[in-house]
Amino acid sequence: MSLIRLSLLAAVALLATGCANNSPTLGSKNISYGDTKAVETVTNEFGSTDLQMIAESMTRSLAQSGTLQGRPVVQVYDVKNKTSEYIDTREITTSIKTQLMKSGTARFASDNTDMQSQVDQLKLQNQSGLYKKSTVSKTGNMVAAKYRLEGSISSIVKRSSDYKDVFYKFSLQLIDVESGIAEWMDEKEIRKTTER
Amino acid sequence: MGRKIFALMALALLAGCATPPPPAPGSAASKVVAMGDLKNIEIGPMRVARENGFMTVNVSLNNTSSYNKTMYYRFAWLGNDGFPVAEPDTWKSLTLYGSQSSFLPAIAPVPKATDFRLEVKTP
Repeated sequence: MSLIRLSLLAAVALLATGCANNSPTLGSKNISYGDTKAVETVTNEFGSTDLQMIAESMTRSLAQSGTLQGRPVVQVYDVKNKTSEYIDTREITTSIKTQLMKSGTARFASDNTDMQSQVDQLKLQNQSGLYKKSTVSKTGNMVAAKYRLEGSISSIVKRSSDYKDVFYKFSLQLIDVESGIAEWMDEKEIRKTTER
Repeated sequence: MGRKIFALMALALLAGCATPPPPAPGSAASKVVAMGDLKNIEIGPMRVARENGFMTVNVSLNNTSSYNKTMYYRFAWLGNDGFPVAEPDTWKSLTLYGSQSSFLPAIAPVPKATDFRLEVKTP
């Protein structure tokens, strides 16, 4: 009788330890962190893999082209969204800027989104009278951009009873501000097909 | 006589089971990190160059099957010490048509990348 009790106790103890959580986690087992670099095919719409592929291929093509000699200052404009979807094109621009910066081939001037904060900070430092004169960043010393980086993304969507095909085309060009000449251009095409 | 033949056959079978030697360092095969078996995708010669300060790679691929094959790949860029010098690339998907031979070009993200690995997975 005591042997049966002992074995029952041992079985319960084993089960209990199996249910115990020895990982440093807290919460439900339904939620988990995923791989940010994985190929995402949840839906046919513009996704994380498309954003990453575009940023990766455009920056590497530009960095390796040899057009950016001597780390010139580049002004980046928002990518025009010519598709019918909502795409946060600023994130594409931010990824491109980040990767270009990390490659060490370009420096960036304050773009239209950062310009207001830049102007506000300069005004605050120079005109408010709050700061020590020797530590103030003087107005009139901002470096102007040598190049302008502009892009657009468009899509062609085709539907039939068996397929929905979405074709994205992202184009990017580097234009010399003074001469207005486009020194570098590249494009990235992506096709996503849903078979019903 | 029968025993000798049996012994020879056993040796031949065992030799077939032996693991293949590791690829020679610096060869194209040593740059491929296959995640599992690469079904029907053959990775051929690779051309490595340094253009405008950045390492560029071109890998030739061959689909040995007569059906379309999808593979997932990415490049890992390493420095002189054999460790990665940049964040991992994103995984990309490539479809090769039946019996198609194609090229896979890639550019390193930073000038200090001196070596690479091609990570491939066939679903």
